[in-house]
Amino acid sequence: MLIRAALAATAIAFTLPAAAQPKTTLNVGIAAQDIGQLDPHFAVSTIDRVLAAWMFNGLVRFPPGSIDPARLEPDLAESWEASPDGKTWTFHLRHGVQFHGGFGELTADDVVFSLKKAGDAKTSAFSSELRPFQTIEAIDPYTVRVVLKENVPSVLGILTNYAQGFIVSKKAVERRGDDFKRNPIGTGPFAFASVTPNQSLELMANQAYFRGAPKINKISYRFMPSDASRDLAFQSGELDLNYGRADQAWVNRTKALPHTIVDVFEPAEEGQLHLNTTVKPLDDIRVRQAIAYAINRPELVRWRGADVSREAQSVVPRGYLGFTTDNGLVGNDVEKAKALLKQAGYADGLTIKMIQSQLPEMLTAAQVFQAQLKRAGISLDLQVVEHATYHQQIRQDLSPVVYYSAARFPVADIYLTQFFHSRSIVKTPTAVTNFSHCDVADKEIDGARVETDKAKQLTLWAEAQKKIVAQVCAVPLFETLLVFARHDNLDYGYKLDGSLSLGPLITEATHFK
Amino acid sequence: MIFYIIRRLLAAIPTLLAVLTLVFLIVRVVPGDPAIAILGDRATPDGIAALHAKLGLDKPIWQQYVDFIGQSLSGDFGRSMVTGRPILTDVGAVLPHTIDLTLASLIVGTVIGVPVGIWAALHRNRFIDYTARLLSLIGLSFPVFVSGIFILLLFALHWRLFPVIGNARLDDPVDRLDKLVLPAATLGLVMAAYITRVTRSAMLSVLGEDYIRTARAKGVPWRRVVWRHALRNAAMPVVTVVGLYIGILIGNSVLTEIVFNRPGLGKIIVGALNQRDYTMLQGLMVIYCFLIVVVNLITDLTYGLIDPRVKQ
Repeated sequence: MLIRAALAATAIAFTLPAAAQPKTTLNVGIAAQDIGQLDPHFAVSTIDRVLAAWMFNGLVRFPPGSIDPARLEPDLAESWEASPDGKTWTFHLRHGVQFHGGFGELTADDVVFSLKKAGDAKTSAFSSELRPFQTIEAIDPYTVRVVLKENVPSVLGILTNYAQGFIVSKKAVERRGDDFKRNPIGTGPFAFASVTPNQSLELMANQAYFRGAPKINKISYRFMPSDASRDLAFQSGELDLNYGRADQAWVNRTKALPHTIVDVFEPAEEGQLHLNTTVKPLDDIRVRQAIAYAINRPELVRWRGADVSREAQSVVPRGYLGFTTDNGLVGNDVEKAKALLKQAGYADGLTIKMIQSQLPEMLTAAQVFQAQLKRAGISLDLQVVEHATYHQQIRQDLSPVVYYSAARFPVADIYLTQFFHSRSIVKTPTAVTNFSHCDVADKEIDGARVETDKAKQLTLWAEAQKKIVAQVCAVPLFETLLVFARHDNLDYGYKLDGSLSLGPLITEATHFK
Repeated sequence: MIFYIIRRLLAAIPTLLAVLTLVFLIVRVVPGDPAIAILGDRATPDGIAALHAKLGLDKPIWQQYVDFIGQSLSGDFGRSMVTGRPILTDVGAVLPHTIDLTLASLIVGTVIGVPVGIWAALHRNRFIDYTARLLSLIGLSFPVFVSGIFILLLFALHWRLFPVIGNARLDDPVDRLDKLVLPAATLGLVMAAYITRVTRSAMLSVLGEDYIRTARAKGVPWRRVVWRHALRNAAMPVVTVVGLYIGILIGNSVLTEIVFNRPGLGKIIVGALNQRDYTMLQGLMVIYCFLIVVVNLITDLTYGLIDPRVKQ
C-alpha cells in the first residue's frame, strides 16, 4: 500500500521538474563521503582540492586547462617584476577585485596575510613550500613585495592558484576564526553557499567576479562514494559531470554512452616502488637491481589501460620541468634479475615484506607487480592494512618496500626533494616521504634549486635522476592520468589538457550548450 | 509504567559509560593518525605536532579521557576533528533520514514477512511453504549492494520512476517519500525474508502445542485458533527478532545508504572511521548506543502489550 501510494506520489512529483528551462545548474558527482576542509590551505584530498580552485584565486595562474609552468599568466596580480638577482619580487595587484559575501576589495594586506598564513604550520598544510620566503610585505594597498632567502626554481610556481598560493580574505579569517574552514571567503568565480553533511555542497555564482559573472548560476557538488550508483546517476542525467576511474574498462563503457565525453588529463600520478636501501636484504644493490629488472612496465600499462596510463620513464614524472629520459633506467629482463639474485646469495629466491593499503586501485596494482617479481624468484609478502594505517606505518619506516603514487607541482625539484633528499627521510624531524633513505643526489638537488642558470639547473636535475636510478632507490612503475566524464552539452569554455586542482576548473566561461 | 521506563533509562547509564570508555580506547588503539588524514601525504612533523596540539591529542591519554567523559556527560559531544562541524548538527542532519529508512523498511518487512510466514507455516511442506522458504533464502543471500544496483537499474534507469540520488529534502514530504521508496524496498525485502523465516518457525512450534490441539478438539474454528491462540503466542519471538534487527539496521544500513546515495548514521560512522575522526566516532557511538537502548526499551514494552504475563 505504501509503495503504491508512493508510486502515485512520485509520478506526479517527477513530471514537475522536467519542464525545459535553460540549464544553469551544474551537478557534479565526486567519490567521497563528505567534504574535508574548506580552508584552501588545508585542501589536501581530491574532493577538497577540486572545489578550492573554483572559489579562490592566486597571484598568478595556469591558463585554465593547462599545467605548463612556462605559461603562467596574471590572476590577482596584474603584473610583476623581479630584481636582477632574482631575490626580490614586486607584484602589482588588480584593482577592484571583490571578495565574496561583501568582504570588500582585495588589497595587499589580504595577500600578505594569506601567504603568511599559508607559510605557518599551524594554519596550513603546505607551510614547507613557503620556507624560502624571507619577507612578505605590503608596499601600498596594491603592491606586494616578496624577498627570498635563496633562489628557487619558480617563485611564480609557489604563488599560483594551487595549494599555498590561494588568497583568502584577511577580514573573513579574523572575523570567523575557526569557522572559516566551514564558511570560506575567496575571490573566485563561485562562492560557498551551504553544505549538507553527507550529501552535497552548494556554490553560487560570484556575480561580481572580476573576469565577469559566470554563466553557470549554481554548482551542486554531490558526495557519492559508490562508483556504481554515481555512474547510474550520471547515466540518468542527474549528474552533468562525474568523477571517473582510471580504469580502461570504465573508460570504454562510459565512452559508449550517448552524449558523453570522457576527459583524460594531466597531471599523472607516478607510482613507484621505494626500496629501503638501509635494511637487509635491500641494502645489497644487486637485490634492488634484480627488482628493477623484474618489473615489466609495458605489462603494467596493458593491465591499467592505454588511455589512462603510460610507462613511467624516470623517478620524476613525465613533463615536469627537469624530467629526463636519459637516466639509465633498465627494462624487463627476468634472467638478469635471477642472475643478480644468485650473485647476492639468493639463488633460491627471497621474501620481502611490504605494507600495502587495501584501497582497491592500489592493492590490485600491487598484486600485478607482486606476480612480476615472483617470476624472478622474489616473493613480496603483502601485509594489507586499512588506508589510514598504511599512511601511518610507512611513515614509521615499517615497510622495507613502499608502493607510493603521487603527483606534485610540475617542477623536478619538489618531487626529488620530497622523495629522494636525505632531509626528507621518514622518521626524522624534517621527514616528508623519502622511504628509501636515499641520499645520493642531495648535492645536485640542492644545487639545482638555487641555480640561476637554467641550462645548468637542468643538467643538475638530470644528474640527480641518473644517480637515483643507478642506486635503485626507487623503481618507477607507471603513470596514471585523471579521468572525468561529462555530458556533451557541458562546455568548459577552454580545452582541458590538465588541471593542478585534480578536477576540471569551472570558470566564468563554463556553460551548457 | 512511567517508573518502569525511568528505571530502565537509568539502568542504561552504566552501559553508556562502558561504551564510552570502550570507544575511547578502541579508536586510539587502532593504528592511523587523524593528523596525517587531515594534512595529507605532504604532512611535515611540525605540521603534525601543531595539529595534535590544536586537537588536544598531545595531552596524556588519561587527561583526554577525563575531558571526553566530562564533556559527554554535560551533553557536549564536541566537534568533528576533520570538518570542525558540531557533531550533533551532523547527526541531527542525517538522523531523520536514518529513522525514515529504518521505519519504512520495518513496515515493508513486517507487512510482507508476517503474513507470508504464517501462510507458509499453515501449509507446511507444501508448494507454498517451499516457495516462501526459497524466496526468503534468496532475499537473505543477496547483498544489498547487488540487489540495490539491480533495483536502481530497473526503476531509476530503465523505467525512470525514481531518482538515483536519494538525498531528500526534509522539508518536502513528497520528495522525502519519492527518495525513500527504492531503498526502503531493498532493505525491506531483506527484512521480510528474515521475518518470514522467524514467523514461520515460531508458528510451527506453537501449532504443535497441546493447547492448540485442545482448542481444536473443543471445536474452536480453525481461523480463530490461528489468530487468537497461535499467532498471539508466536508473536513474542517475532517481536524480539524485529527489535534486535532494528538495532542492527540503524547502523548497518550503510550499504543501502551508499548505493542509494542517502545520508545516514551508518555512512557517517564509516566516514569518521576512515578519517580517524576520534571525536566524531565517540559522539556517534554514544548516540548509536542510546538509540539501541531506546529500541530495546520499546521492544520490552511491546512484550507487555502482547503478553499479559510480562506485565505482572
